[in-house]
Amino acid sequence: MTSPPVTGPAAVPRHRGGPGPARFRPRRATPAGTTVRPRRRGPLSYWRQYLAISPFYLIFAVFSFFPVFYSLYLAFQRWDGLGDMQFVGLQQFTFLWDDPVFWLSIRNTLVIWVLSTVPTLFGALALATLLHSVRRFKGFYRIALYLPNVTSIVAVAIFFGAVFSNNFGLVNAILGTVGISPVPWLSNPWLIKVVISLLMTWMWTGYNMIIYLAGLQAIPTSIYEAAKVDGAGPVRTFFQITVPIMRPIILFTVIISTINGLQSFSEPQVLFASNAANANLGGPGQAGLTTLLYFYQSAFLNNDYGYGAAIVWAFFLLIIVLVAVNWRITQRGRKP
Amino acid sequence: MDLSRRGFLQAAALTAAASGLTVACGGSGSGGTKNGKNLTLWYWGGALSDKVVAEAKTHFSSAVTLTASSIGGDFKQKLTTTLAAGGSSVPDITGIKGEDIASFLPNASRFLDLNDLGFKKLSSQYLGWKTKLAQTSDGKQIGFPIDIGPTALFYREDLFAKAGLPTDPAKVAALATTWEDYFTLGTELKKKVSGTFLVNNIGSVFSMAVGQGTERFIDKNNHFIGDQDHIRTAWTTAVRPYTLGLDAKINDNSWNAAIGKSLTTELGAAWHALDIEQAAPATKGKWRVCAMPGGPANQGGSYLALPKQCRNPEEAFKIISWILSPANDARGFTDAAIFPAAPAAYAMPAMTGPDAFFGGQKIIEVFGPAAKAIPDSYEAPADAAVMAPYMTELTNIEAKGKKPDDAWNDAVSQAKQIARRQGVS
Repeated sequence: MTSPPVTGPAAVPRHRGGPGPARFRPRRATPAGTTVRPRRRGPLSYWRQYLAISPFYLIFAVFSFFPVFYSLYLAFQRWDGLGDMQFVGLQQFTFLWDDPVFWLSIRNTLVIWVLSTVPTLFGALALATLLHSVRRFKGFYRIALYLPNVTSIVAVAIFFGAVFSNNFGLVNAILGTVGISPVPWLSNPWLIKVVISLLMTWMWTGYNMIIYLAGLQAIPTSIYEAAKVDGAGPVRTFFQITVPIMRPIILFTVIISTINGLQSFSEPQVLFASNAANANLGGPGQAGLTTLLYFYQSAFLNNDYGYGAAIVWAFFLLIIVLVAVNWRITQRGRKP
Repeated sequence: MDLSRRGFLQAAALTAAASGLTVACGGSGSGGTKNGKNLTLWYWGGALSDKVVAEAKTHFSSAVTLTASSIGGDFKQKLTTTLAAGGSSVPDITGIKGEDIASFLPNASRFLDLNDLGFKKLSSQYLGWKTKLAQTSDGKQIGFPIDIGPTALFYREDLFAKAGLPTDPAKVAALATTWEDYFTLGTELKKKVSGTFLVNNIGSVFSMAVGQGTERFIDKNNHFIGDQDHIRTAWTTAVRPYTLGLDAKINDNSWNAAIGKSLTTELGAAWHALDIEQAAPATKGKWRVCAMPGGPANQGGSYLALPKQCRNPEEAFKIISWILSPANDARGFTDAAIFPAAPAAYAMPAMTGPDAFFGGQKIIEVFGPAAKAIPDSYEAPADAAVMAPYMTELTNIEAKGKKPDDAWNDAVSQAKQIARRQGVS
């Protein structure tokens, strides 16, 4: 079989940065006397390869690409899911601008995101550093700390709901033995956010810890030995060697946590499930109503699909802004 | 190597094509004629008596094959999606929950008019107010009533006795004929038995008080009326137990733990008895039921409907009218605690027996008259969505100590906004 198309002669002249690494160096001069026919094949002749990779693209197109743009179309309609659609222009967005619940949901999402991401990442880094220096039972600690991440989110949320229950929860029972009066964990607007953030911290610390641990293990021990010889203590080593080297990994986890944290939905949904008497989501005072939960309520409980679509598209713009901020931070770190 | 890869790819392509063909054949196999032999029924766990459904299968086996599926999760959402998609996956018979029926009425064209199939002759057997809730303004009947949720006052007989209050249902009902009487009773109870509460949260009082009226948040001309006196009165009633300190403020899942302990009474529909029984089995024999203060309301209760794609409307209608005949409906009460929408069932032995959980009380004597006394009311498609901010603000009062008047103003302004969004003028 001839060489695969990627490294074939046709692809090479586009390489810009001068001669690349040795194995990609183009064979510029062809041996005299031989004529090389350019192997040009139409894209259709690669149909087998395209067919082989097609399942992903088909599923992506049907279940992701189409819904994304269909929801954009829906954001300009009024539709109850069954009847005729009615074009309403930008009306859904003007409603959105005037809707205090939408802004409340944005505030809730951002507060929960900060309250969960900060302890998650700091905790993960601390745990990873501790675990890196542990000599015995390494496997046990890793599994034990990673386990919350593979536990069903619904099970964890129900468990947290029971533990933090206002009237009969374990936490309040323990506080009661020390003489502290019951804390309204699941009805005070701030404590609701704290409980949701704790839940997310519980679930995601282990995940980030494993990533940090992998990063720590990739740092050559010779650097640490050199630092030791120069007389650096463990704290100084951590801040001046470990953290700078880990920077790209930390940025990766920040971005992943941003994406996860802003999409919080299941946690408040399970923790404050609606019931027949009160169809509202998000708990008392809607303090746990995240933007995605509000979208779900508008579209699927109130049958207002146009408004739901408008909510998620407005939220998309917000995520774009946050990603831009993240990107700026990354760039600033790389320049010097 | 080369040959084996090509072989592999060709095999893969053939498999893909073959599976595509199979799917296509499967899709076109069951055609849409109107005398189909295979009918599907969608319901959710507890919507119908499983025994009656199983019997319906054998009863109609000579004419059609009935396949019943118990659909879990968000039933309304799944039904909406399937109806919107159309095709052969649409069930021939489907359940619709009581709280969702109003939102399906604007799309009545997606369902068959049961009056055309003979419901007119049967309708007198079912409660008029329940039938009307599944009727469009031009008289199309899309839902066949399964059950209803007449409400009553559940109370702890032992705690009433401890407080030196009457414990007999008739006497308790006489003591609590109006909401104000009920709250006076609660104040006395709290004084005598400390650490107890009269109501679990004020949202439940509000939804009961609204349900006692004939008008809700939107009138028949599609106007918002959620700021008018009837709603304001219900609101004031709901806030009373909060100001009197009779409100347990339970807005989380701790109801399960509270019901057997600190709650002296509970407002609920007939099906709520099962919730109490499951959450607090230890209180067996200690509960009683009596008429609700201010008169009965309805909470929940479902319908069966025939989507337009129904493959055999005549047989399907025969099946649902058999499953929901008063005699079979009464069996649903024994099997699944569903309270029949056919008053004739209330006199049947299946329903007149004493209930051990209620200390041998014949609870039909409370729920039967309540069912018949529920007023006709109009529920607009957007009603549930418009009601939501009132419930939110009531929990704001409980959770944050928000001033009731501020909460009322915020609730009305938000409800108006939602109404506008939903096309209500």
